[in-house]
Amino acid sequence: MTASTDTEGYTLTTEAVLATRRRKRIVSAAVTAVLLALVVWSIDVTVVKDTDWERMGSIANVLEATNRFIGIDFELFPTLLGPAIETLLIACLGTFLGALICIPAAWFGAMNITPFKPITYPLARLMMTLSRSIHEIVWALFFVAVMGLGAMAGVFAIAVRSVGFIAKMSAEAIEDIDHGPVEAIRAVGGGPFQVFLYAVLPQVLPQVIGVVIFEWEINIRRSAILGLVGAGGLGLVFFRQMNTFNHHGVTTVILAILIIIVFGEAVSHAIRRRMI
Amino acid sequence: MDSQDIARGPTAAGTPREWRRFRYPQSLISYGSWLIAFTVIVYSIEYLNIPLDRMFGMFGRMGEILADRYYPADIEYIMDVDYIGSVIETIQMAYLGALFGLLITIPLAWFAAYNMTPSRLFVYPGARFASMCCRAVHETIWTILFVSILGFGMLPGVLALTLFSAGFAAKLFAEEIEAIDMGPVEAMWATGANLFQVMVFGVFPQVRVAFTGIGIYTWDVAFRAATVVGFFGAGGMGWYLKRNVMQIETERVAAIILSIIVLVLISELISAWARNFVMKMK
Amino acid sequence: MSVLEVSDLHARYSAKGPDILKGISFDVEGDDFFAIIGPSGAGKSTLIRCINRLVTPTSGRIIFDGREMTTLSGKGLRRARRDIGMIFQEFNLINRMSVMDNVLSGRLGYTGNLRTLFRAFPRDDIDHALKLLDRVGLSDHVDKRADELSGGQRQRVGIARALMQNPKLMLLDEPTSALDPKISKEIMGLVKSMAQELNVPCLCNIHDVKLAMEFCNKIIGLQDGVTMFAGPTEQMNEAKLDEIYAMEVL
Repeated sequence: MTASTDTEGYTLTTEAVLATRRRKRIVSAAVTAVLLALVVWSIDVTVVKDTDWERMGSIANVLEATNRFIGIDFELFPTLLGPAIETLLIACLGTFLGALICIPAAWFGAMNITPFKPITYPLARLMMTLSRSIHEIVWALFFVAVMGLGAMAGVFAIAVRSVGFIAKMSAEAIEDIDHGPVEAIRAVGGGPFQVFLYAVLPQVLPQVIGVVIFEWEINIRRSAILGLVGAGGLGLVFFRQMNTFNHHGVTTVILAILIIIVFGEAVSHAIRRRMI
Repeated sequence: MDSQDIARGPTAAGTPREWRRFRYPQSLISYGSWLIAFTVIVYSIEYLNIPLDRMFGMFGRMGEILADRYYPADIEYIMDVDYIGSVIETIQMAYLGALFGLLITIPLAWFAAYNMTPSRLFVYPGARFASMCCRAVHETIWTILFVSILGFGMLPGVLALTLFSAGFAAKLFAEEIEAIDMGPVEAMWATGANLFQVMVFGVFPQVRVAFTGIGIYTWDVAFRAATVVGFFGAGGMGWYLKRNVMQIETERVAAIILSIIVLVLISELISAWARNFVMKMK
Repeated sequence: MSVLEVSDLHARYSAKGPDILKGISFDVEGDDFFAIIGPSGAGKSTLIRCINRLVTPTSGRIIFDGREMTTLSGKGLRRARRDIGMIFQEFNLINRMSVMDNVLSGRLGYTGNLRTLFRAFPRDDIDHALKLLDRVGLSDHVDKRADELSGGQRQRVGIARALMQNPKLMLLDEPTSALDPKISKEIMGLVKSMAQELNVPCLCNIHDVKLAMEFCNKIIGLQDGVTMFAGPTEQMNEAKLDEIYAMEVL
């Protein structure tokens, strides 16, 4: 360690360091510029060319159109209680049904307890992915076609949409269990069902319940709009208000939806915090 | 020793102790919760008029309908140039929406992170409220609102996806920021840096990797939403879905749904690969 | 005039909690290497952090370089902070950034926002950083990532970063607690010699009393927020140490 400084040596190194830093900066600036150009080009090709700018009118027109929505239809508010409860209950029942379906789905989808790995495991994984890839609107359309309009189609759409997430999380929880208790129960002579009940279930149940409640909260958001395609709840009211051009009514329905979502979030938070 | 549920045995001091299966208040809360859940389920079935008896017949009917009307899927229809064009539109809407959403999310999450927000009194609750609103409003509602104001096309779709992505990512980003090691942040304050500098040197290097992962995840989720926004007038393949549903062209609907599944699967594979790549690099 | 004058300092963690510091007073002169010792929970860390206002005291005065630290805010506070260098127990480096960037971050108080964003520090800063890195013996590690270094090396980067500020006072918060004994001595020796070369007084919160007695010229002993001993190192002895550490159960 030299206490004195060699100015000659330092000037050279400083130059080198400065040059490297400058070079790095230029490269990243260039890359950013290219990306920016790509983005601008995309916007041009998609939004700018595709939008009917004349029909949209000036900024004033747009602001006026936005202004139509500002305001609450107070008469409508009390009539929203029924549909709001319907939405909540569709979420509850749908999540419950989805959780039921997850019992076999997670069993098949967990590598350590799946009954016949070459077939049941990929099958379960496929079901989970399908459930998550298809948007809830599409599921709702399907179930409305099969079961007719109404809450039941919504319940099934929610159930099927939730299976993917809940089963995936549950299967992961099952794959992560400690095998000690499993061995212990087997050692005292327990059969497969008892092993499941005493060794597997206690380890995964808190996590699974947490996941179910988390998904329930998200499902409130989903059930609220399934009515747009006929599956019951506030979505149906929303649809009608849009069609009758009652813009204040539309805002009111959105407000109602926000309220029940906040409610769901509060309940979900409270329960999940107590569980941990 | 008598019944199974109450066992008595002497302690060292000689006084008998009891073990009961039912403990108050834990067991009350536990059994009570299950009871409440059960009641809600039963009440829902009543309130929503779910015909349990007809339900089982439904499955048979479902199979029938699937086999009859939805099979075989009209693959030729989705090979059409116009349809492929709409698929490309969907992809473009998705990544533009995710990109702008993520750009908004960076400052939004910063303001919504309790440890780094500029003002805990005003900015923090404001940012939390804004991101909650974006998240709570479903992407289809945003789409309908924007289509109503701006007309049909890709612009409302991109805007709706932007707000949806911002809402989705903001909560995750904010949680990442709140989980950082505050030591380096403290060190930066100690050098006399301002809040912006502390963010750039103290916070962003710590969250950069997680942010990238969340960004990729957001793009994936935005793409799934983008497949459907066209249903409500916002451009992309969703509009083909709507048209064919209205016209009850069920074989074409089946083909469209198949194409959605394939595309989402591909996008999920790409995003999973990208996230792994990012993990390994940093 | 002393570099630092602390008078009747009180501080607490939460508004309703008890006082952690109960009236501390001392002065630091320009050539001091001042040690603060005492059992855990005595308030040493809190005291150090009050000096550069990472913790805000409830009452008392802290006059640093003629400025009243307890009432500063915004720009004034930042200006004061950039004249105080700090070294931390856990090093507090930016792990994913290079050693050079870490040392340069000491100049943030003098750098504009745009330069910060692009990490475009001026030539003089880079010059200074290289000199400091050579002085602490890390010239070969300039471009390594901070988390690739050992504990002792990281603390050297911390020292370089603090000295980049050209500070008028150095605060050291248990700089050697995370290091093994041999390295601890090296680090303390390095800080002392560099501080003497650059004429910077140091205020050091230290757990190891032997190190304090070896390197520091003045000692203040805290117990439960109260000063039990204050004076030059020569006056410290076993009896007084026992008094200070009487409450500590190890």
